[in-house]
Order: sequence, then C-alpha cells, then structure tokens
Amino acid sequence: MKKIASVEEFSDFRRRVLGEKQIEYDRPTLVVCAGTGGQASGSNDVIRIIKRYILERALQYRIALRVTGCQGFCEMDPFIVVEPGRQLYPKLRMEDVPRVIEAAVGGYVVDELIYKDTREQRVYQCQNDIPFFKKQTRTILGNNQSIDPIRILNYIEQDGYAALEKVMSRPEPERIIKEVKDSGIRGRGGAGFPTGRKWELARASADGEGQKYVVCNADEGDPGAYMDRSLLEGNPHAIIEGMIIAGMAIGATQGFIYVRSEYPLAIKHTLIALRQAREMGLLGTNILGSGIDFDIEVVRGAGAFVCGEETALIKSIEGLMGEPRQRPPYPIEKGIMGRPTCINNVETLANIPVIIKDGGANYAKIGVPNNTGTKIFSLVGKIRNTGLVEVPLGMEIGEVVYDIGGGPVGKAKIKAVQTGGPSGGCIPATMFDLQIDYDSLVKAGSIMGSGGMIVMDENTCMVDVAKYFMSFLKDESCGKCFTCRKGTQRMWEILDDISRGNATMAHLDLLEELAHVVKDTSMCGLGQSSPNPVLSTIRYFKDEYIRHIKDKRCDAFVCRELVGAPCQSACPVGTEAWRYVAHIARGEYQEAYNAIREANPFPSVCARVCNHPCEERCRAGTSGGDPIAIRSLKRFVTDRIDPSTFRPRRQIWTNGEPPRIAVIGSGPGGLTAAHYLSLTGYKVTVFEAEQEPGGMLFCAIPSYRLPKETINKEIASLLDDNITLKCNTALGRDIDIDGLLGQGYKAVVLAMGAHKSKPLQLENEDAPGVFPSIEFLKAFNLRGEQLAKGRVGVIGGGNSAIDAARMALRQKDVESVTILYRRTRDEMPAFAEEIEAADQEGIVIKTLVTPMRVLTTSGLFSGLECVRNELGEPDSSGRRRPVPIPGTEHTVELDTLIVAISEDSGVDCISPARSGGIEITSYNTVRVDRDTMMTSRQGVFAIGDVVTGPNTVINAIAAGKKVAVLIDRFVRGEQLIQPAVKNLPKVYVEPISLDVQFSAEVSRAETPRASVAWRKRNFAEVEVTFSVEEASREARRCLRCDLEFTKPKEAEAPAEVAVAVGGR
Amino acid sequence: MISLTINGLPVTVDKGTTILEAAKFLGFPIPTLCHMDGLEPYGACRLCVVEIGEGNSARLVTSCTYRAEEGLKVRTASNRVLRARRMIIELLLGTCPQSKVIQDLASAHGVKRQRFKQEHEDCILCGLCVRMCKEQMAAKAIGFQGRGENRRIGTPFDIKSEVCRLCGGCIYVCPACQLRCTYNDPDKAVCGGCANLTPPCVEKEKFDDMMCYMSPCVACEIRKE
Repeated sequence: MKKIASVEEFSDFRRRVLGEKQIEYDRPTLVVCAGTGGQASGSNDVIRIIKRYILERALQYRIALRVTGCQGFCEMDPFIVVEPGRQLYPKLRMEDVPRVIEAAVGGYVVDELIYKDTREQRVYQCQNDIPFFKKQTRTILGNNQSIDPIRILNYIEQDGYAALEKVMSRPEPERIIKEVKDSGIRGRGGAGFPTGRKWELARASADGEGQKYVVCNADEGDPGAYMDRSLLEGNPHAIIEGMIIAGMAIGATQGFIYVRSEYPLAIKHTLIALRQAREMGLLGTNILGSGIDFDIEVVRGAGAFVCGEETALIKSIEGLMGEPRQRPPYPIEKGIMGRPTCINNVETLANIPVIIKDGGANYAKIGVPNNTGTKIFSLVGKIRNTGLVEVPLGMEIGEVVYDIGGGPVGKAKIKAVQTGGPSGGCIPATMFDLQIDYDSLVKAGSIMGSGGMIVMDENTCMVDVAKYFMSFLKDESCGKCFTCRKGTQRMWEILDDISRGNATMAHLDLLEELAHVVKDTSMCGLGQSSPNPVLSTIRYFKDEYIRHIKDKRCDAFVCRELVGAPCQSACPVGTEAWRYVAHIARGEYQEAYNAIREANPFPSVCARVCNHPCEERCRAGTSGGDPIAIRSLKRFVTDRIDPSTFRPRRQIWTNGEPPRIAVIGSGPGGLTAAHYLSLTGYKVTVFEAEQEPGGMLFCAIPSYRLPKETINKEIASLLDDNITLKCNTALGRDIDIDGLLGQGYKAVVLAMGAHKSKPLQLENEDAPGVFPSIEFLKAFNLRGEQLAKGRVGVIGGGNSAIDAARMALRQKDVESVTILYRRTRDEMPAFAEEIEAADQEGIVIKTLVTPMRVLTTSGLFSGLECVRNELGEPDSSGRRRPVPIPGTEHTVELDTLIVAISEDSGVDCISPARSGGIEITSYNTVRVDRDTMMTSRQGVFAIGDVVTGPNTVINAIAAGKKVAVLIDRFVRGEQLIQPAVKNLPKVYVEPISLDVQFSAEVSRAETPRASVAWRKRNFAEVEVTFSVEEASREARRCLRCDLEFTKPKEAEAPAEVAVAVGGR
Repeated sequence: MISLTINGLPVTVDKGTTILEAAKFLGFPIPTLCHMDGLEPYGACRLCVVEIGEGNSARLVTSCTYRAEEGLKVRTASNRVLRARRMIIELLLGTCPQSKVIQDLASAHGVKRQRFKQEHEDCILCGLCVRMCKEQMAAKAIGFQGRGENRRIGTPFDIKSEVCRLCGGCIYVCPACQLRCTYNDPDKAVCGGCANLTPPCVEKEKFDDMMCYMSPCVACEIRKE
C-alpha cells in the first residue's frame, strides 16, 4: 500500500472504495463471528468448513465469506448470518453448515435451522426482527458485523476514517473539543467524567506546551465484562481513529493502548490495524501530509486488576509496579513521565468517530439529557440471551433483562442484576424500572462500571456473591493502602464466617461499619468502591444474611457448609435421603426404612405424594444430569418393610399424671404432632370433624395417587395408647377452645387444613354443575359420589386442578376433560410429572385463557365465556402477568365445571368456637409467631395449611414435628425459641465401589407407571414400585454428598488433640 | 501563599505544603504511622485522614499526601474522621497486636475492643522501611512484592541483597515491629546480619561511613557479654 500524502488524495481514495463497495456486495455473504467467544464455541471449524466447501464446489464467485469479530449474540455461537437477507442460523452443528451455504447460494431459507423462539413459538426470518437485536441501538457494535477486523478497506467501506478526514481537512482542535462537548458523552470506563471537559483540561494543561500523551485504557478486568475486548478484536480501526482525533484535540503526539495480555486476539488485531494505518499514512509522522504527528504503541499489561485505575496504569506504562497514587494531581496535569496524559476508555474512543462524523448535537439526541449516547453492556449470568447489548442510556434495566435478554433461563425467577463488576452493586428485581444511567445507578448503590451486567436468579446466594467479589478484590487490591488491603480481607473473612454459619448478628453490623470506613478512607477507585458488593447486598438482601446467621440456612443451596447434603437440607423434616439411598445401594432395606422413619412418621404417604424438594436440589441433577429418583426409592423401601418393625424411642412421663394435649384435625400435621407428643409421654386427644382420620390426605388427594389403604395403614401404625381419636367432632360445633382449655388440656393445636375452595367470584358460580374442587374430591373419596358428567372443565393450574381433572376423567359419565389456565405451561404451579401424566391420559390443557362469565341454560351450567391472554410485564412474584387480548372472547361449552384456583384455610370454625384472642390474617389464615408457632392466644398453637394456606404434606409434617417440641417446652415452662443448628450429615455409611463404566452409562430410572389405557378406566394407583434391580441401580447413582462431612469411625481423629497457638 | 482553614482556624502556608504540615503548624494532632519527615509522603496507613469539602462533596483524604488548596476547609477531628480512624486502629490492632506503637494509638483513641479474628503479623506494610532504604540510604535494597493479601516486603528474588549495607535503618523506622530483628528466625530477618553474628558494628572497619540505627541491637548485647 502506498502512503497517502494528502487529505485530498485520501478523500478520493475513500470515495473510490465506497463506490466499489456496491459491486463487491451484490452476491450473498456468509458472516461468521470469530471473536474470542465465537472461537471458543467452534466458529473456527465453521469457517474451515465453509472455506473448504466453497473451494470444492467453486462457489467463490457466487458467495462471499466475512470473518468478523464478536457480534454480541454470544449465546447463539457459532452462528452464520446470511447477508443481504440477514437470516441468522444459530448454534450450528458442523454437519449443518453445508446446508446453510447451499441455501445462501440458492437464495432460500433453511427452516429447521433458522432462529426460533421456542417459548413464543415464533420463527424470525431476519436478524433485525429478533427481540435481542430489535430493541438495541447498535451504533458502535453494529459495525463489528460488517467489518473483517484485519482489513482496513472493510473499515473504510463502513465510512471509517471519514471523521479523520473531516478533522484533517480543517485541523482545529477547539472545534473537535467543542463537538465532543456538545455530544455530552461521558467516560465509558465507568466513572462518567465528561470526555469533552477532560480533553479541554488536557489541552490547557502545562500551558499547552510540551509532550502530552493519549492513552486508551483497555485493561478490562471485571469478571463478566468483555465489551472492550470485543471492540478491539472486532473494530480496532475505530479506536485508532478515535485516538488520533484525541491526540489532535489535546496536542499529543504519542498514544498508548494499554491492553492486558489475556487478550491475545485483541492485541493481534490491534497490531495489524496499527501497521495498516501506518502504511496508509494515517498514523506516524506527518499524517496525510498535514504536518501532524501521532503514533500509537501497544503496551501489554500483566493482568493486575488495579492497573485499570488511571494512576496505576500510568505507573505500569512507565514500567513500575502498578500502584495508584493520591489524586490530585490528576493525570491530565501529571501523567506518564510527569507529562499531561489523557486516559480514555476503549468504548469512549470508539464513539469519537461517530460524534465527529455526525456532529455532537446529533449524537446528543440519543439517550437522555446528561447521559447521552449508547452504552454497551455485557449481559451474562442466569439469562437466556447471553451477549453484548448496546442500548441508549436511560433504558430501564427490566427492558434489557427481559426484552433483550429474554428473561430467566429456567424456572427460577430473576432476583437481581449486578452491575459494574466487582466494584459495583446488586440491584434487586423490584427496582428493574430503574433507568440505566451513571447517576441513577450510583443512587441505587451500584455503579455503571465498564458495563458488566450479571443476572442472578433464585439459585444465586447473595452472601456468596458478595463473598466471591470480595475474594476477587482481596487478591486484586494493590495492597498499598491499609484499609483497602486489610479491609477487603476482613470483609471476606466475615462473609466467609456468615456463609459457614459461624457468624452472629454483631458480625453483620461490624461488616457494615467496616464497609463504610473502607469506602471512606481508601485511596483509589478500587478501594473506594470495593465495599459496594457488600453494602448493596446488605441493603437489598439483608434477610438473606439474617437467614444465614440466625437460621443457618442458605435458601439458594450454595453455601456448602450450611447446605451439607442438599437432599437432607431441602427436606422440611430433614430426612437423611442420602442415608437411605446409600443403604438401598447396599441392600440394607431395614436400615433404609429406619433412616426414613426416624425423620418422617408418614413414609408410605410421602413416598407417593411428596413434592420431593430433595430431588429438585439433588446435586446429581443440579450438576447437569438427572436427579436421583429419591421418592421412588423411598416407595421401594416402604413397600418392602412393615411399619411395625420400626420401634421409636419412647419417653415415660415420670412427674405424676401426664399432661393432656388437644389436637384439632387428624391430617398429616395433626397426627404428626400427636405422635411425637405421645412419644414424649403426653396424653393426646385428636378431634376429627369427618368420620375417619386423614384430613387433607383424604380430602385433597385422589386415590389413584394415594390409596385409602395406605393412609389407613400408616395412621394405624401411629395411634397408640397415649392417643385418643375422636371422629365426627368438629371445632365450633361440638367442641370449643375455651372449653378444651377449661377441661384441663395444657395446650391446643389447630391443624384443620385448608378445606374451602376459593370461588371464581363470577356470577352463576353456584349453578348446578359447578363444583369447588375440594367438594368434588371429598364427595368421591369419602362418599363415593361421581359428580362429573359429560364435558368437564377445570379452572386452575395448580396441583388441585390436575388432581380434579384426572379424577374427573376416571368417572363413568365423563366424555372429555379440559384444564383452563390463564398463563402458559411454564408458569403452572403443579408438579411437572403430574402435568405430564395428565397429558398422557388425554386431558386437554388450554393455556392463556381466563373465564369471564359462567353461562347457564335454564338454571343449569352450560359453559364458559373465556378471553385469550398474552403474557405482559412480570408481576411482584416475577411471573409474567396475563393480559387479556380484547376481541378474543369465545365460548367453551361444558357440562361440569370444577373450580380449582386455590383453597382457603379452615378458619371459619374458629370464631364460633369461643376462641377469644386468636387472630386471623387478611389471607384468612391463623396468625402465628414464626418461631414459636403459637397463636396470639397463650397455649393455642396452629400448624399446617390453616397457617400457610394450601401447602404440601411434607410441610405439614414438618410443622407437626416442630410444634411437638415447642409444646413440650411450653408445658415445661422453658423458653420457646431454640437456636438454629446446622443440619449436616452425621452418620457414616460405607460407600460401595462402582466401576467407571457404570457411572458413565447409567441414567435416571423412570418411575414405573401403570399403562395409560388401563389406568384411565379405574381409580387404582398409577405409580408402581421399582424392582430390586432398578432400585439398586438408581441408588448407586447417588453422588454421596454426605461423604464430604462424615468419616469412618476408626479413621476419626481423636477430638482436638492440638489447638494451634497463634495460628490463623 | 495559600490560605485555608483548619477546624475553622485560618492559616496561610507555602504552595506545596501538605494539610498534615499545615495542621501540625497550628498544633492539631493528626496520628500517622507511615509518615516521617524527610521521607516522601506515601499515604499507606490512612490514619491521617481528614475531612475536606462541604455538604455532599465532603470526603476524606489523607492529609500527608494532600496539598493545601486555596480556600480549602479542613476538619481534622469530625465524627466521620474519628469513626474511620477508630476502625483503622481496630484493624491495625487485629493485625499487629504486639506493636507498642499501635497499642499506644489504640489507647489514645479510646479503642477498647478488637472484633476481628486475631492475627499476629509483624508488618503493616506502611512502606517506611522501603522509603528509608531508597531515599535516605540510597540503597533500594528492599521493596514491595506481590499485591493484595500477598503483598509483602522483601529483597529482589528473596535473596540476600548485595546493595544492603546492613545499616538497620529499616528496623529503626518500623512502627509495627520491635521484633523485626528476628535473628533466630532467619526466614523473617530482613538483613540477616545478627543471624550470622556479623552485624555491621562487628566489622566496623569495612564500613567507614556506616550509620547504625539499631538500639538496642542484639549484636551489641551479645558483644557486651
């Protein structure tokens, strides 16, 4: 390339290139992203295949290939965009690449491969329509797609170096500075200092005389941020152009690009670009014959995070240890070698050509006043569309997260967004209407930083997040100033204690106090912002800290020392699931049964109907595979072992006559409480309103899931001499609370369950043919009545809706069953396996419909008028709100309607039961103290659905267990609240040896189910038990998380032999 | 000349004077650990923080490194300053509890408790020794290594320095450790002089212009015997 000697010559050259562009691009072009992210996902292979294919078939004159830097849609890598139609083929497998090439040549679209949104069931023919791209304003990032970074002509084709031409033809620094000032652009590195002002000061500095420097700060070290890398990789000429203009503006002749060695591709592309620019005469001495000198040197950083701080960066460029110093003097007064130095971020410099080309005033139209222009964010974490997004400043966080980012990956709701890297803070989901700009973020306790956005969902523990960032900062603090070095260490230490459950509330106060002092007294930006992760998580997620400290629980199941074996801590009653699974693997079924029964008095019931939180948290599942089928294994054991073989430990009341306790309700909660009280020696009377015990087990669970015999057998094994059961005795009708306490009962437990289905609150709801789901289930379970007829509709998406639907299907006069739910299947609260089973049985599930009117014909129910919905903004629960679409009203003809939208607790009977002092909440539940489980009346406790609203069996059992302990303490006059303890595995069960083959091949055993055709016709149990073979195979899959905490007996070290003296 | 007010009192100082010097001139006590007359200000210990500015823009800066500015309003003992200072002393106490200098500081500032896990380090990385070695002794024998929690003081490549003249100046200025001269623990000894029982004073004839700051010196004690 010949050096271009004058501005006019360059202008001609540029016009020629722009003219030829049209001819070059009349054939389809395959665009492949080969940034660092793309290469990691295999785009190099894609490129190789494309090249080979083109050469083999001699397609080089019919199709073009462009290898670009990162285009931002990193989630979909490796992908090909076919221009000019801009069809995007995401996540390509190598064997599919030729099909895309053929389609591009032939001018058609491969429907199976093109980008689709699975959740919205939509196909996007053009990249620009994809929501991820549609909402962005890609003034900077957009060029990455049109430019091969190692070709300067590509950049010129995109109007590159037009800004340089403009300033070179009229070299007036003041004018450049004025344009930049007019644009209102603020430093994209994070602090947001107005760039125009900085340049003005730098120009005036040192009386405008002597050597000055321009530095491009590409020391991007935030975990999760990579926009600077992508710009240098994908469009290095833009930064070079920006730097030359900056140099002209402030009067500098030397520039540095300070880039970390971790970015080899960025360095490579930058060096190539510098060489090209120099060869063309755009860089070096006498640029374009204008007499202006400016050259750029690349300085490679060794990767210390603190070197992104400008004073440390200067030291590093000078060849010294990267260590900040006190400002003032600022670098624009005293920088490299004591000379004025203007340091700008990569992204700021990439914006400069745009500002100069289009004019500052035009640029200022983007964004909001005082925060103009666009900003690139790297959207990472628990989000569907990971990648780089460029949006105008002032956009709401929610728009970026939900519209561009596509919302959460799995079912877990998004909890917070962390902005600004390690020095930033967390912004909770409730504040997602916050505008993204420098000032709002600071007000919310975070910072813009370089633009990292880490999305966190419910499986992220905020204490752990703070701990992670603090651990990063304690390693990356330069260590010069004491508060930053020691402060970050100490903050990490306290956070570590909290995450291990070793901290007290005083530690939390100390943490906060320390954080404020570190913020106040540290020297540089790193230290001053280092407490932000702690302060913002304490500010918005203090309850999580308190949960760690007081309850010793980590609800996200992240903090290892608190979680122990996840299956055990996920279980409300703390069943050592790992233990019985281990025993099953060893073939020790009796031991397995004992392990189950020790924690849970209803093993056979739970083996059938438990919602198995243990499996949700099973590490075999969360680490990428399928969870162990813990519930089915429990079923396997309980089907094999007779309950009478387990002999619980019994205490005998020695202090005279044992006290009497009244339990109202004989559901799982009430009977559990009665059982444990009886074991402690109390005399318990259980009152039941219906004719037989079982409570919600009978009323709410259909027999095909839980046969009557199983309930009866389990209950029979719990009743003993200490327990008196009184059926057909209802609270408020036959007994009352004043009366019970008057009769000498020391305490009363309310455990009546949630027996009342919530009404739809529509007209005609009481028409014959409309049944509340509980009524419907009870009618059959207790009296054998089959109420459903003809075409049955079920409203609701919870378990009771599915139960009612499947129950209706089995009744004799039923033709069809339809479930109507207002959101989509993803949002249905029912258990996934139940929905699946309903599907198999042929139940129609209509989603996104809301009933508007109940229709009747001559007084009888005849159908529903419904309206269709679409999903709108997320509500307070994080689920997207259904919004009716006007004009989509339609009629659904039905003969029977079952309403299963939710249940109310059985609190109606309380007020007539002379129950002065028992408070009811606005949700129609009994108000109890969270810790003591006592109602507002002394001696009256309440548990189960009556407190929580409709809930699971295992939670009721857990409450029953807890209340038994509390009542014992109450009767003995002890303090009710107990300190929480960590629930870690304690018993060592010898693991069995497996061969590697086994671990690699085995997959989750399917729970056997009766055939659909057969089970549909009767009320018999659907799930069947495992065979011995299946059970042992499944049990051996267990990862045995417990072994991290237990030791074999003989190897156990003698307790605390040596106490380290003076050690840490 | 630059005029500023410190705790409400006006003072006029030369250009380039630090706030610490100006405050000293007026007689306001500001505790320091890493500052020493004759050495370049460093700003490492953060004890000398003072509050400048007003309203929302009020902030804490280290008085040893901050140069006086025209019209600056300085508060050397505001609540914010005292709170920060106490916390810094508590942190110091948790790190280096055996240092008499730090104990005295704690007592003077009413710091009566130490809530962090007790450590027993013998260095707070104030950098006095490094600057002493470089600026006064012109030796540059020791310097900082590593960063973050791995930062420490040592010689290049952790081998005995050839430029060290065993003057002991580093030990003389150390605020944390009268225990610096751990002659029976050679790993921790900076100069290693006494460990080899060839302290400078023993071979005085080799060092004509030697200044010894060590007092008392283990070697001297041994020689007395």
